[in-house]
Amino acid sequence: MLKAGFIGMGRMGITHFSILNAHPSVKTVAICDQSKTILNFFKKYVGVNTFSDYDKMIQESGLDFVVISTPTDSHAEIIKAAIANNLHIFVEKPLATSSVQGNEILRLLNGRSLVNQVGYVNRFNEVFMQVKQLLDEGLIGEIKNFTFEMFGCTVSKDSKSSWRSNRNLGGGCMYEFASHCIDLVVYLIGQPNKVIGNVLQSIFSSDVEDLVSSTFIYDNRCVGNILVNWSELSYRKPTNRIEICGKKGKIVADKHAYKVFLKESDESHTFHTGWNTRYITDCAEGVHFYVRGNEFSRQLSYFVDFIEKKRANNTSNFAEALKTDIVMEEIFNNCMEIKK
Amino acid sequence: MDRIILGDNQFFGINHMSEEKAQALSEKFYDLKAIINVIDAAYDCGIRAFMLNTNERAKDICSYLRKNSARYADLRLYPSIPYPHKYADLVNEKGIFNAVKDIIISENSAKDIFGLLVKGSFTLFDRDSIKVMQLLIDTEMKIFHGLNIKVVFLQNVITDLLLGLGVKEIFIGYVNYIREKYSAEPGFITMNLPKLCNFLLDCGIENPIICSSINKIGYFMNPDISSYEKTIREKQFRPVAMSIFASGAIKPSEAVEYIHNLSNIKTIVFGASSGQHIKETKKLIESYLPVEDKKFQHV
Repeated sequence: MLKAGFIGMGRMGITHFSILNAHPSVKTVAICDQSKTILNFFKKYVGVNTFSDYDKMIQESGLDFVVISTPTDSHAEIIKAAIANNLHIFVEKPLATSSVQGNEILRLLNGRSLVNQVGYVNRFNEVFMQVKQLLDEGLIGEIKNFTFEMFGCTVSKDSKSSWRSNRNLGGGCMYEFASHCIDLVVYLIGQPNKVIGNVLQSIFSSDVEDLVSSTFIYDNRCVGNILVNWSELSYRKPTNRIEICGKKGKIVADKHAYKVFLKESDESHTFHTGWNTRYITDCAEGVHFYVRGNEFSRQLSYFVDFIEKKRANNTSNFAEALKTDIVMEEIFNNCMEIKK
Repeated sequence: MDRIILGDNQFFGINHMSEEKAQALSEKFYDLKAIINVIDAAYDCGIRAFMLNTNERAKDICSYLRKNSARYADLRLYPSIPYPHKYADLVNEKGIFNAVKDIIISENSAKDIFGLLVKGSFTLFDRDSIKVMQLLIDTEMKIFHGLNIKVVFLQNVITDLLLGLGVKEIFIGYVNYIREKYSAEPGFITMNLPKLCNFLLDCGIENPIICSSINKIGYFMNPDISSYEKTIREKQFRPVAMSIFASGAIKPSEAVEYIHNLSNIKTIVFGASSGQHIKETKKLIESYLPVEDKKFQHV
C-alpha cells in the first residue's frame, strides 16, 4: 500500500482525498490544512492524522507521496520539501507562479526517480484523449491553425475575500482557468514559440483579470488563438471548446463530443468524407471510483500506477507543466491590460 | 415506489452527451409554462412520480404545483438534494466549510441555530456535524413544503464524495432524519453503485433505495457493467435505473429490453422534453415490463 498525505483540503483537496481513499493500492494517512474545522472533521469522522504544518506531516507520517492542493503561490516551497524527503508528488495546476520556480523544481528533481504530475485534468477526458491520438496519427495532416476557448461563470461579481482574487497568491483567470486551456494547447499542438496580441480584461474583478486572449505563433507557421473567460454568464459549467485545422481536415471538440471533417475518407476509423460526429458515449470507460467526473479519478489512478510500476515520462509531468507556466508568464509580460 | 418517474434534467439544460443539446433545452424551457406543459402531458398519460432537484426553477415549479394542488392530487415528488451548482460560486469563494456556514446562517433564524453559536464564533462543525447536515437538509427541503414527498434522494456529487470519505455516521444520520422529519424514504444517487450498495448495507441500512445509471453500454457505470449486474443480482436493495438510454446512444427498445432482463429493477427514471416522447417511452417500458409484473407492484 502506498501511503498518501494531503496538503490543502479545499474543494480539490477533499475531492482528491475521496478518490484516493477509495483506491485499492492507497492508504490515506494524513492531511494538513489551516482550518481547524476541517482538521477536526477529518480526525473525528474519517480517522486520519491531522497537521497544520506540512513539514511536520512529512517528517512524521512515513509517506510515499503527497497531494498538494494549496493556493499556487505556495506550491514551489511545498514541492521542494517533498522532493527533499523523496516523496512522489501530485500538485494541483498550475505548477508555480513563475518559470524561475519551475526550473528550480526541475533541477531538484534531476537524478531522482520521483513521479511528478500536475492536475491538468483535461488530458484525462476521453474525448480529448481520443483527439490527441487522432492528431498523433496524422489524421488531419499538418496543423495550420486552431482556436481554443474556455468559458465558465466561476466569477460573477467582485470578490476581494478569496485568494482567487489575488494574483500574487495565484488567483485570477490566467492561473485558475486559462492554465487548463493553455495546457490543452501544449498537450495537443505543442508549446508556441511566440505569443502576441495578448489581452487581459477585467469584467467583474477589480484586482485580477477575468478574460485572457492571445495569439500563439509556431516556427512552422502554425497560428492559433485562445480566448478564456471565467465570467461568461451563459455557461452552467466550465466548458472547453477546441477547433483544429489541418491540411487534410479539421477537428472540433468539447468534453462531450467531437466532430471530424475530412477531405478524404479514413477507413481505419470508419470516418467518411465530410463531417463525422462521435459522442463521449462511444469512447467512455469506467473508473475505479467516480467523484465529480471520471477524468479526476483517471488522472489519480494514472499517477498511482506510475509510482507502483516505477515508470517515468508520465503525461502532465512537471517539465510539461512548466511549458504552460512559461506561456502564461509571456502573456503577463507582454499584455495589454484592460481594467474594468 | 412508482415504476416510472419522470426525471428533470431536461428542464434545466442538462445533457450529458452534447453541450449544444443542453443549450437548446435550456432555451426551450426558459418559460415555466413549457415545463408545466411537459409535466401535464406526463400526468395525463398516467405518470404520477416526478424527480426534482432544488435549483431556482424548481422553486417555481413547486409553487405552481401547490397553487394547483387539485389538478395534481396524486402527484408524488422524488426530490434530489442538494443542487450543487447553486452553491458553486460560494464554495469557490469561501471553501466548502465556510460556504456551508454562510448558507446555514442566511437560511435559518437565530433561534434555530442559537445552540450552535459558541461565544460568538460559529463552531458548529466541531460540535455536531450531524446537526449541520440536518440544517442543510431543512434548507434544501424548504421549497417542497406542502407537497407529497415519496423519496428524498441525496444527489450524486455529495453521495459519492462522502462515500469516498467513508463517513458512516452521516449516511445513517441522513436516513434517520429523512424518515423522522419528512416521513419519506431516504434514497441515494450514485455513480458507484457496487461500492455504495456494499457500504450502505455495512452501515446497517436495510434494503436501501439506490438510483444509478444502468444501461446496456455501461455508460456512467463505475467501475464496470459486470459489477453492476452482479450487485443487482445478489444484493438486497431497491435499484432505481436512470440513463437507461445513455443520452440517446442506445436504441430505445434495446435499452428497455436490457433493463427487463436484469431482475430486481423496480423503478425507471427517464427524461423527455415533449409529451409525445413521454407517451412513446412510457408505452415502450410497459410493453416490456407490464403493470401486472409482480416486481413492479408498488412497495
